[in-house]
Amino acid sequence: MALHDVTKVYPNGNRALNGVDLMVPDGDFVFLVGPSGAGKTTLTRLLLRDELATGGIVYVDGRDLAGLRRRDVPAMRRRIGIVFQDFKLLPSKTVRENVAFALEVTGTPRVAIGPAVERALALVGLSGVAEQRPAQLSGGEQQRTAIARAMVHNPRIVIADEPTGNLDPLISWEILQLLLHINELGTTVLMATHNAEVVTALRKRVVALEEGRIVRDEIGGGYHHAY
Amino acid sequence: MIRFVAFAARRAVEGFWRNRVMSVAATVTMVLMLLLLSGLLIVLSGLSAGLTFVQQKVDVQAYLNDGVAPDKITALTLQLEALPEVASVTYKNKDQALAEWRAQQAAQGNADLVAVTGTNPIPASLNIKLKDPGVYGQVVSVLKAPPGVISRIDETQQVVDAIIAITNVLRTVGLVILIMVALTVLFIVVNTIRMAVMARADEIEIMRLVGASDAFIRWPFIFEGLLVGLLGAVVTLAILGLGATPLSHLTNTLVNEVPIGFDQRLGEQVAVLVVGAGLVLGGLGAWISVRSYLIR
Repeated sequence: MALHDVTKVYPNGNRALNGVDLMVPDGDFVFLVGPSGAGKTTLTRLLLRDELATGGIVYVDGRDLAGLRRRDVPAMRRRIGIVFQDFKLLPSKTVRENVAFALEVTGTPRVAIGPAVERALALVGLSGVAEQRPAQLSGGEQQRTAIARAMVHNPRIVIADEPTGNLDPLISWEILQLLLHINELGTTVLMATHNAEVVTALRKRVVALEEGRIVRDEIGGGYHHAY
Repeated sequence: MIRFVAFAARRAVEGFWRNRVMSVAATVTMVLMLLLLSGLLIVLSGLSAGLTFVQQKVDVQAYLNDGVAPDKITALTLQLEALPEVASVTYKNKDQALAEWRAQQAAQGNADLVAVTGTNPIPASLNIKLKDPGVYGQVVSVLKAPPGVISRIDETQQVVDAIIAITNVLRTVGLVILIMVALTVLFIVVNTIRMAVMARADEIEIMRLVGASDAFIRWPFIFEGLLVGLLGAVVTLAILGLGATPLSHLTNTLVNEVPIGFDQRLGEQVAVLVVGAGLVLGGLGAWISVRSYLIR
């Protein structure tokens, strides 16, 4: 995915992104850091085409999102897995049903749903609690359920918006290990986070946003700039 | 395709049940509207059947006093036949009139009361067919001229005019009421479905983000609207089915002579109309409701 000179101005005049240039090659692992309101969430929304950029070009999986027809958007989104801070699981459905939901609502044949769900659950290590409901699970397990749901379409890209924001440090590490594992299997991962500890420890590529601008983009960087 | 329909139908039933108070309220309003609609259709078609029936009958019927000399009747007949407006004149004597009246009573299942009295109370009559049903000319004045011959004159035109007037008023008033009720129903369905949409806001967001197409998001709600319409139609038809027989007797008692009834053709028309109107209103309401939610 790539962004070129992307600007996003909301109708209320709030300038969320300002001239952002970002290249993420296939198979990369990128941390997106910055204070609240820096534009991290806006950036993930643009990549999902939940919103359109005011200016500039957003490419995802080789396609210019501005030129995408409305009816082609769903197919594009199936190639991106999305994970949120608040998990966004359906409380009335079991873990298995939550993961299967992503396939059901995209018209996947029933015979294909079962095996794909099993594979995704095995990937995140939740096969044992597949029949539990989210309320019966720990926060880490809920987030892993959400990751399984994101992975069930075999996406090229996973976007995680503060996936560890609601989790304690130990569980955060588990989630991060899982995302790294997914990345090793060939999926591009873009993770927006506040978690300075993990960013600094992992020495991956770090893109820092401040007031809608990219202020730093370095490989092997820490959460904070090394002054 | 089948999978999609099954998915949408399953979620529609889920949604209907989850939001059952509002769903039942919408269905009840739908039933009221459909009852009004079918009632209007039945009354209007009854009136129009009555109209045709009356128009086919003789145009002027003059009842004769008992015991009028036959030559006076013949003279009057000839006089009438000479008028340019008149197509034909037929004389019906008391025996013929009684036989017809008895046949009519028997057809309606009434007891033959004349047999009790032992006399014939039915008058003889002159039935005058006009060339143009609207043009009477001198017919009435000629009939009234000889004293003591004619007891009463029925002019069909008066009946026809009355029926047409009633039909027009009913059609206009009924249509206005119907439109108002239909708008209310639409409003309630829109609100019911909107509540269902809001109750599923989380699900809809997840569906959008995992790449569900608009059809997958929209159709379950439209099915839910259609379900309200269909249920309303079924309840309405059940009520009509239960009420048809007593109602039919009632109309026969009120308007004997004129054949108003729930014949099969009318029944089919009502059924099609009720089901159609229910589905259209339910579906349209849901469509409006989801549309405003999806576009953003």
